[in-house]
Amino acid sequence: MAPSDKNEIYLSSSPHSLTPVTTRMIMLTVIGTLLPVAAWGVYLFGIPALVNLVAAVVSCVVFEALFRKLTRQDVRIGDFSAVITGLLLAMVITPVTPVWMTVLGSFFAIVVGKEFFGGLGANVFNPALVGRAFMFVSFAQPMTTWISPRTAGGQDALASASYADAITSATPLTYIKPVDGVVQSAAEIADKSGFFSSSEVYLSYFFGHRGGCIGESAIFLLVAAFLLLLITRVIDWRAPVAMVVTAVAVTFLAGIDPLLTLLSGGLVFGAVFMVTDYATSPVTPLGRIIFGAGCGLITGLIRVFGGFPEGVMFAILIMNALVPFLDRLIPRKYGKLPREKGGQA
Amino acid sequence: MKSKSFKGGVHPSCKKETTESLSLVRAFPLTKTVWIPVTQGGAPNTPLVKPGDSVALGQKIAASDAYMSVPVHASVSGTVKKIETRVVTGNVEVPCVVIEADESGTTDFMQPLDPFTCTREDALNRVREAGIVGMGGASFPAHVKLNPPKGSVIEYFLANGAECEPYLTIDARIMEERASAVMDGIAIAMHITGARKGVVVIEDNKRNLVPVLERAIADQRSNPVGAGAYEISVQVCKTRYPQGSEKMLTKAVLGREIPSGGLPTAIGCVIQNVGTLVAISEAFRLGKPLVERPLTISGGACTRSGNYIVPVGTLVGDLIPDTVTLADGVAKIVSGGPLMGFAMKTAAFPVQKGTSGVLFLTKKETVLDEESACIGCGRCVAACQCRLSPVLMDRALQADNLDESIRCGLMDCIECGSCSWVCPSRIQLVQRFRVGKQRVCEEAKKAEERKKLKIVCKGDN
Repeated sequence: MAPSDKNEIYLSSSPHSLTPVTTRMIMLTVIGTLLPVAAWGVYLFGIPALVNLVAAVVSCVVFEALFRKLTRQDVRIGDFSAVITGLLLAMVITPVTPVWMTVLGSFFAIVVGKEFFGGLGANVFNPALVGRAFMFVSFAQPMTTWISPRTAGGQDALASASYADAITSATPLTYIKPVDGVVQSAAEIADKSGFFSSSEVYLSYFFGHRGGCIGESAIFLLVAAFLLLLITRVIDWRAPVAMVVTAVAVTFLAGIDPLLTLLSGGLVFGAVFMVTDYATSPVTPLGRIIFGAGCGLITGLIRVFGGFPEGVMFAILIMNALVPFLDRLIPRKYGKLPREKGGQA
Repeated sequence: MKSKSFKGGVHPSCKKETTESLSLVRAFPLTKTVWIPVTQGGAPNTPLVKPGDSVALGQKIAASDAYMSVPVHASVSGTVKKIETRVVTGNVEVPCVVIEADESGTTDFMQPLDPFTCTREDALNRVREAGIVGMGGASFPAHVKLNPPKGSVIEYFLANGAECEPYLTIDARIMEERASAVMDGIAIAMHITGARKGVVVIEDNKRNLVPVLERAIADQRSNPVGAGAYEISVQVCKTRYPQGSEKMLTKAVLGREIPSGGLPTAIGCVIQNVGTLVAISEAFRLGKPLVERPLTISGGACTRSGNYIVPVGTLVGDLIPDTVTLADGVAKIVSGGPLMGFAMKTAAFPVQKGTSGVLFLTKKETVLDEESACIGCGRCVAACQCRLSPVLMDRALQADNLDESIRCGLMDCIECGSCSWVCPSRIQLVQRFRVGKQRVCEEAKKAEERKKLKIVCKGDN
């Protein structure tokens, strides 16, 4: 037989043709959308941001490789998921985090948050947020020390004139947080933070000219990343949209300016890059909507009533724990009548 | 005409360009020998001939009394050499009748029969006696499909020309070259099933066939006696895999879902592949049993590919190099389409009644990546047009939880391969589900045996 003699013939189960999209391509797309956001963070906050970004990425990759080698598993840093964890972790911490803390946080994120659960795809909680939560509770003071961006407007601009003194500048969330149950309007906040009008506040925040984490503030880049990830079908719209809508609705009911809710803190960053994390979010359409809405609800509640100014991290970690239950909400199967219970054949 | 469609599914590149414009060509195996599997669809047959017998083209060589069975006929005239097992599509060994063709050319066809004047029983019997099974790939006995369970009212007859598998162009060629036979077949099937509306369903990558089909319908309608009395129309659907599956056809064309575990007849539908309809038409008009079938031979490793009509039992390898030529670098030989076909170890397997195509794929065309870890992206859930949750079915199977896997859709899976196609981690979901289904059946059997045992024990007491 001519063909079988000349060639090595492979046997496998169908299908015999597959999509060209691989895990590695998906990861690279995510990295591609994260890099501009990271670059903007470096532009805003300078060298400390860059140092933290590099430290987090390198240590995440090294820790993953080391852990898998020590536990005699195949080293799969080639899938680039550790790079994403590193980038995500660095982007949700303050630019002036001491580097050794970032390295420790990366260790916690990768080893405890990801590999202890079985590695890629098997982790229950978002590794980057596990790392951040660890840093947040261990080093509360340095983790909540903010600096103004070099480009800040309003009062912050005066502060950032002497760059080194800019430490402990306030973030927008500090202004927005209701003080003794009294909510402040956008105009009041503008006045307090040294802007002339509320629209100037919006615009300034939209481009990230405010204190905050390295990656969370560049809203315009985050929106662009969201659209790009949607078009390339890397992420599903359900969870992020549900999260943002719910968070805005909840804070709006509490009287907080909806635009400020959107533009401050890590809401948009969390919605685009954290609740869309494959392994730690539901796979079913309805599950994703409830997951996103739950994240938004808890974020809003913490922002309004909680002891912390920001609630995105805890909201997502709490909802991560519910994913296995949300995954039970499967769609109605083909050929099953609506009143029939899904499980009955 | 507006294209109808369904939600979900995948859109692999069609790859039909190489063969879609090539006319049907008759081909004969180089060795002048055919290996005809004794059973091709339906219940197992027993051979009616023995080595040394001389047989005529169309002579019955294997049959069974079971209702669910269809006979098999000699596809050449010649001498039976031996009855031997051979690996066929699906990589199982089955007994085959080996016939060496001679020059005599004797034929043994049935008498032509007018499908519109004979009784329904006679008509169904003719379809069975002609050995007709579904030629789209499933090889389900056609007479069973045309005889819906008592009490079901058939409204629609759908002629399946969707041909959603990449590479395959044989249904398209059949519709282009044998349009009138297709329409005649539809009219006969409508007559037998009592369907009032006949619809030819094609994907919109075959839009050029619409005028051809409509002309054939008009020609048939011009003589309103017999076949001309039946109302037939053409429906275009979006090119989307797996449009050709029965569940997706009814969903797209009629907006109806076949009940889980049920047949299309439950929603007033009977569906046949267009190739099967030509065979039905020929069985009545010429008395010709199903002894030859058209198929596409294609793939990136083919230097000469095409659409051929070959005797049933032709070894695909025997068509090389006279009919088909190959380049170096064949990595996979696939019997059927690339999404649902079977990978074969060699090309020396017989063409059966259900073989719609054979593909010779290069390494580049067929992905040979290793499986990697599931990242939980949920693409399989979005791709499943039956709205099952493949990733959850798989997780439940891995956790040994058959009930949960069934709840997520295991037993409703049609094994179309959409989920495996989209999986970025290359996880062979369909394969895992096949194994899972087998386990469910085994468990059910065991439970039954336990039940019996209990009754026996009680009886003893």
